[in-house]
Amino acid sequence: MILQTSLLIGLVIFSVLAIALKDLLKSAISLALASLLLGIIFFRMKAPYAGVFEISVVAGLITVLFVLTIALTKTGDEVRESKLVNWVFPLVFVAFVVIDALVMKSLLGKVPALPAGAETGTFGDVLWRGRTLDLVGQIAVILAGVFAVLALFRKRDKHD
Amino acid sequence: MTNTWYLYLFFAAALMGAGILGLLGKRNLIKLFIAIEVIGKGITLILIGTGLAKASLLTAQALAITYIVIEVSLVATALALIINIYRQTKSLDVRGLTKLKG
Repeated sequence: MILQTSLLIGLVIFSVLAIALKDLLKSAISLALASLLLGIIFFRMKAPYAGVFEISVVAGLITVLFVLTIALTKTGDEVRESKLVNWVFPLVFVAFVVIDALVMKSLLGKVPALPAGAETGTFGDVLWRGRTLDLVGQIAVILAGVFAVLALFRKRDKHD
Repeated sequence: MTNTWYLYLFFAAALMGAGILGLLGKRNLIKLFIAIEVIGKGITLILIGTGLAKASLLTAQALAITYIVIEVSLVATALALIINIYRQTKSLDVRGLTKLKG
């Protein structure tokens, strides 16, 4: 449990760094490290399939997409962030975490545990039989994403 | 619910809080999108955490994988949009989008 909590603290730290760091490339790498830690947390929670997807897709593919975008939009023209936000963000976040901890402490043991139906079969059964509609939706979303990217990068005609 | 579930809920809320603060305070389009990703991490964590607490990890993993697949499509589309916005406005500043031109 101590190791799991340490991993969760690391996940929050790297996520906050991804938002707070000025350099975009460092932010993308921090986000990838946060995804890697989340994948390890999933493995430790006995959820290997989610862990594999988190590490391979989120820590791998999405980071590549971010780095590619940062490379394509690099001009040295850095966006000026508000200096006030740089000071306020950490303070507000610490206050939020304190409130979060107090709320969780007050909620402890008060959320009723609803009865859950025991799961039967393997992960494949649940994914392919139980969540078939989700899979159809996923295919639709992937196709929509592909067409959206194609539409956004199409070559413009003279008439456009 | 088990005490472990509250631990995951606490960290998921911290991630979502960080993401929302990032969305409110940052001006760089890529930073805004990184903040959305952080919120997504919080959602995935609480999905699996609840699955663990309710002894229905298989369904929780199926939902997490569904979310991850949707996230990839979302990222690809949004980053393509960001590149196009950059080509139009020559900047990643979100305030540049207030001057809409036909």
